Amino acid sequence: MLEFPALTQDEFRRLCEFLYRRTGMTFTEAKRYYVERRVIERMTTTESSSFETYFARLRTDLQGEVEQFVNAFTINETYFYREEHQLTCLTSELLAERLKVKRPGDSIRIWSVPCSTGEEPYSIAIWLLENWRHVDDYHIEIVGSDIDTDAIALARAGAYGNRALTRLPPQVVEKYFVANGADSWQILDDLRGSVSFTRVNIVERAETKPHGQFDVIFCRNVLIYFDDLSRRTAAENLFENLYPGGFICLGHTESMSRISPLFDVARFSDAIVYQRPAR
Amino acid sequence: MPLIRKPPVEAAGTPASAPDAAAVFAALARGTDDERWSAARAAADLPDSVPALEDALRRERSPVVREALFSALAHIATTQSVEAVLRFLRSDDAAVRTEASDSLLAMKDVVWPYVAPLLRDANADVRILACGLVRDMPSQVAVSLCCGVLDSEAEPNVCAAAVEVLAEVGESSALPALERCAKRFSDAPFLTFSIQMAVGRVRSQAPKPRA
Repeated sequence: MLEFPALTQDEFRRLCEFLYRRTGMTFTEAKRYYVERRVIERMTTTESSSFETYFARLRTDLQGEVEQFVNAFTINETYFYREEHQLTCLTSELLAERLKVKRPGDSIRIWSVPCSTGEEPYSIAIWLLENWRHVDDYHIEIVGSDIDTDAIALARAGAYGNRALTRLPPQVVEKYFVANGADSWQILDDLRGSVSFTRVNIVERAETKPHGQFDVIFCRNVLIYFDDLSRRTAAENLFENLYPGGFICLGHTESMSRISPLFDVARFSDAIVYQRPAR
Repeated sequence: MPLIRKPPVEAAGTPASAPDAAAVFAALARGTDDERWSAARAAADLPDSVPALEDALRRERSPVVREALFSALAHIATTQSVEAVLRFLRSDDAAVRTEASDSLLAMKDVVWPYVAPLLRDANADVRILACGLVRDMPSQVAVSLCCGVLDSEAEPNVCAAAVEVLAEVGESSALPALERCAKRFSDAPFLTFSIQMAVGRVRSQAPKPRA
């Protein structure tokens, strides 16, 4: 990799302003090192001789550079219990809020979109079974959706390698998975059968609307890829798919405030999420 | 296990039926908040709905429904929908002006032919918002338009909006215009400060080898 000096204060600020406006991603000075590493990676890959050259490429989205840049921030191996603080927030705060308008026996609907190969919706299911004391008092429906039908097929199959399970406590692995060879674990049929998977393009209202309304939606690291119009449309679709008072959780760098004025910001001790205003 | 699974959603691959235009327009005019919101979203798929959407925007008081109306016009993205949204750039309500500007930005290149005339509009608020529309235009065009503003604009707030864009686009060809503007408005400290910041940023962008 080529050696680049750190970004100047102006360059860093300029980049952050552009990213916020273009993608809704927010970074503070505390994240400078994290941002710089990705910029240097992309400058090296694109053989950009200066930040000036690279930033011009990014601004004009030359050869899809915005997507490549966002990928540098978000492509991580997906695994169980990723962004655990949001799962903590789900059981300690969000569901408590939703129970104010529910009676025992009512349904609680949770949507993981995009769900990729299923780690997130299964994580939600396991987390609730392990950590939510009201789990037996309500009918909990978890739906995982993705635009990629190959990913959905893998999610339905429910087989995962060791790396996907590294964040799970051993007793949880033992309880919900069966070893299937040296590096493969099969999720239990009971759990596999309790999560439904669908294909959806969240920019297409005809595809999102039939999914009905949810109490909580997990929608991480996807809106940042969209242009302004697609992002507005997706935000409106997701708004429509939330019950009044329902919550949407985005990725840790994402901000709905740049995307849409429809949602209220809801600050909890474990996470900042967004809420469809209650009527 | 308390988790339940419902039958799969029959969504993907199901062709969406075209919304009934008469019902959509009736709901836009007389529906409840929820009905107007739904109608606004459905109207996005009806290219002939621009006049009805514009009428609805004139009456609408709910910010949520208004957002959907502006999104529908952005989705349609024709010269007719651009011109409908442009009328709201002159609203007395600052929130509506901003929503209109966001809607125009979402229409991308369809709106570009309107930008230069907007930068010469009689209303300074419109000229400020027009500077925001310049931001996504190709760099050379953006720099040229903003430098034109810096050399001819009488209102310092409009110049400040153009300076903000140049601070992002940042090409050294903008430096002379920035310096002329700083001299012309030497009695406007906030603008002088903005220009200093922009000049600093542009100069820091001067290509320098990093390998």
